Amino acid sequence: MPTLSYREKSLYASLIAEILVYGSYFFLHRQNSINKVAGMIVAIIALQIVLQLIIALVTRNRVTDERDRLIELRGYRAGYLTVCGLMVLGLAMLWFHAEAGNINLENHRVGLHFLSAFFSILVIADITKTAAQIVSYRRAL
Amino acid sequence: MASIRNQIRELRAAQSMTQQDLADQVGVTRQTVIAIEQDKYSPSLETAFKVALALGVSLEQCFQYEPRGKR
Repeated sequence: MPTLSYREKSLYASLIAEILVYGSYFFLHRQNSINKVAGMIVAIIALQIVLQLIIALVTRNRVTDERDRLIELRGYRAGYLTVCGLMVLGLAMLWFHAEAGNINLENHRVGLHFLSAFFSILVIADITKTAAQIVSYRRAL
Repeated sequence: MASIRNQIRELRAAQSMTQQDLADQVGVTRQTVIAIEQDKYSPSLETAFKVALALGVSLEQCFQYEPRGKR
C-alpha cells in the first residue's frame, strides 16, 4: 500500500480488527454471557496491539499532521452522532414495546438483551467512526 | 462558498522538489501535500506559511483566495 499514510494504514487495520472481533461475537456466537463480552473486549485490544505494532514496524514515515487530526475529529463526530441516533431509536423502541406490553422489564433475561443492545450501539458507532475516517482520507479530506 | 487555489505544483517543479521533500520540510505527510496541490484540502495559516517558506516565495504567490465558481 505505497500511497497510504501511516494513519490510513492504521485505520484499515482497526477496521479489519473491529469486523473480525465484533463480527464473530455478534454473528457467530449467541450473546448469552458476560464472559463473552469481556472476551470480545480483550480480543479487540490484543488484535489492535498486534496489528498496530506490525504497521509501526513496516512504516518508516510515521508523521501525523493537521489533516490527520481534522479527519480524526470528523470520525469522532460521525461516531457520536451514531451513538446518539441509535440511543434515541433504542429508547423509542423500548418505550413502544413497554407501552404495548411486549416486554417485561423484571425478567432477568431482559438485562442481558440490554447489555447486548448497548454493546451493539458502541460497536456500530466505533465502526462508523473508523469508516468515516477512511472515507475522508479517500476523498482527500 | 469560497476556495483557496495554489501554485505549489508549479513552484515545486521549478525547483525540482518532490512532494516528499516538501512534506518533510513543512512537517506534513506526502498525502497532505497531494491533497493541497489538488485543491481538496485548505491548509491552516501556519502550514500555508511553512509551504511558502519552503518554496521560497511569498504567501500570495503560493496561495490565492477565489470565490467558488470563478475557476
